[in-house]
Amino acid sequence: MPPGSPSILPPGAPPLPQRGPLPPPPAPSGPSGPSPVPIGGRAEQAFDPPSGMAWARVSPRLTWHRRIAVLLWALPITVIGAFVLSRTIGLPGGLIWLAVVLVACAMSWIVAELSYRSWGFAERADDLLVTHGFFVRHLVVVPYGRMQYVDVTAGLLEQWLGVATVRLHTAAAATDARIPGLPARDAAILRDRLAQKGEARSIGL
Amino acid sequence: MNGPYGPGGPPYGPSHVPRPQFGPPMYGPPPPGYGPPQPYGPRPQPPVHFSQGVHRLHMATAVINAVGVVVIAFVLGGYSLLVTQTSGGIALILTPQVIARFLIVMLPVSGVAVAVGFWTWWSLKFWIAGDDLVVETGILRRRNRRIPLSHIQAVDVVRPLVSRLFGLAEVRVELAGGDQAETKFRYLGRPMGEQLRAELLARAAGLPGHTPEAPERPYWRVGFGALLSSQLMKLPVIGALLLFVGLLVFGFTFGELGVLAAALPVLLGLARGVIAPLVMHTNFTAALSPDGLRLRYGLMETRMQTVPPGRVQAVRVVEPLLWRGNGWARIDVTVAGYVGDRQALSSVLLPVAPRHVAIQMVSLVFPGTNAEAVPLLPAPRSWLAPFGMGEAGTDDAVFVTRRGRVCRRLDVIAHARAQSVRLTAGPLQRLLGLGTVHIDAPPGPVQVAAENRELGEARAIVESAAGRADRARATDISTERWAR
Repeated sequence: MPPGSPSILPPGAPPLPQRGPLPPPPAPSGPSGPSPVPIGGRAEQAFDPPSGMAWARVSPRLTWHRRIAVLLWALPITVIGAFVLSRTIGLPGGLIWLAVVLVACAMSWIVAELSYRSWGFAERADDLLVTHGFFVRHLVVVPYGRMQYVDVTAGLLEQWLGVATVRLHTAAAATDARIPGLPARDAAILRDRLAQKGEARSIGL
Repeated sequence: MNGPYGPGGPPYGPSHVPRPQFGPPMYGPPPPGYGPPQPYGPRPQPPVHFSQGVHRLHMATAVINAVGVVVIAFVLGGYSLLVTQTSGGIALILTPQVIARFLIVMLPVSGVAVAVGFWTWWSLKFWIAGDDLVVETGILRRRNRRIPLSHIQAVDVVRPLVSRLFGLAEVRVELAGGDQAETKFRYLGRPMGEQLRAELLARAAGLPGHTPEAPERPYWRVGFGALLSSQLMKLPVIGALLLFVGLLVFGFTFGELGVLAAALPVLLGLARGVIAPLVMHTNFTAALSPDGLRLRYGLMETRMQTVPPGRVQAVRVVEPLLWRGNGWARIDVTVAGYVGDRQALSSVLLPVAPRHVAIQMVSLVFPGTNAEAVPLLPAPRSWLAPFGMGEAGTDDAVFVTRRGRVCRRLDVIAHARAQSVRLTAGPLQRLLGLGTVHIDAPPGPVQVAAENRELGEARAIVESAAGRADRARATDISTERWAR
């Protein structure tokens, strides 16, 4: 992870080095007529960036956003749970509760980092690719022409950390293409660029 | 007229459709009540031009609304004024005093109801201005809504039982996007409603507004016998029937009448599962016309649905186990306009038909394709899906998946309609090197996904589907102004 790396590559910029060299990803099958589902590519490359590109990464502050959010949740849960348990079961109950919450916090501490590393997006000529997910991996391809609108949201915590979430909406509810943890300025730029591309290629349903 | 659904032989298969072994003849007389309007018959009123002047709903709407309010007021409180508490219980004694009491309360309520009814009727105005349908509501606080005609996803003419008595019809204009995106005209006179429907569709197609209603070609008609037997020949229905009969027999032979309490919910479930679709889809006819697919159905509430070309997002051909002996199939469909309740009501393209007819219907919905001819590749066998027969395949126009051993389903989505392409892989799937490819459509009953493909293959599917979608959109016949 290159710390503090620019999170949005201008179109055409040289790709950032990513987690060591990788063999070229599977070539997308060309127009092959009415052929069966093309077979090719290897399992470990399934979530790689498109050929000749690299994933643009989000800001590492996303990790801290997750961690602080977890802590904010964990505090009241710890206090209330420990209080109730120590009243009903006794001190050991409260201590066990504390230990459980601590372990859960430690796990989410690690998962926050892993989850941050899993986010990536790439702007191709005609569509946007977004990948995320550590346990369940996702890869979404959204054609610019299908975007209904793009919005940028930032919660209180996100505002404090100076990050924002860019969300793409298509007519399909399942699309769920969002990019969290972008520096606020980059998010606005990305939104404008996506909206522009969407406008240029807009079609009906 | 040779629109995308225009005349001409079926694009695939035999040039004629063999007659079905069941049901009435395909090209029989038009169904009663709702047939295509007879332009040469006597018609008292001249045709309405919605682009000229301002139009209102049928006057009877005000009366119906007022009566509705009065009935509700009566049920909520009015009737209690009529009855008197006596020593023997509650009795209906109509002394002049009681009647006066009743009238003093109900007359002002009725007056207010009538005023409100006329006020709402008067305040809704609509007209067609250029390429927009304009609906204006409110008198004190005006709300003006402009609907671009090219965004119309479907136009339905619905006639609930009550409105049929008065010769009225409700026109619903469906737009893509959200629950609020429906515009209702409740109620219009029936001829006016059908003219509005025809004019909206003609203008959306890019024709002049006073074009006569597009001619239609009957395509398929579902007989009542076929519909009834298709609803009964389902495993859950047969199971519930057996359970119900078993409960009755047990209850009466052992004198345990408490069991009947358990039988009642089963009966209600049966009514919901069998009778509701039966009543809804009675007299189902599908017809083709240049302005889209026209579906007519319903016993109590008749509906006429028009889905313009290119508005169908995805279809599913469903073959339950027991139907396969007869070679029957049902078609479910996702149309972008229908959200929420309306989706469940309007998601069936054909309730039951021979399989080849259903497949032909799919090629009419997605012109120039043949879902059956797309070569399918099975997903690798794994213990995640030990009985699965998930298969997927694609050609340049459509993406097809097939799955289900018991209830066989064939999902078809046109690349040109795909909203996005997704690849997901859960932890178990990744352990086995598998992933699922979703071709996303707007919310609806049909969502297409190729499940448990090998990950490398899945990514290749994603890339090829994205590329094909790009090319398909570029060459797609425009779904706006399709007649031009």
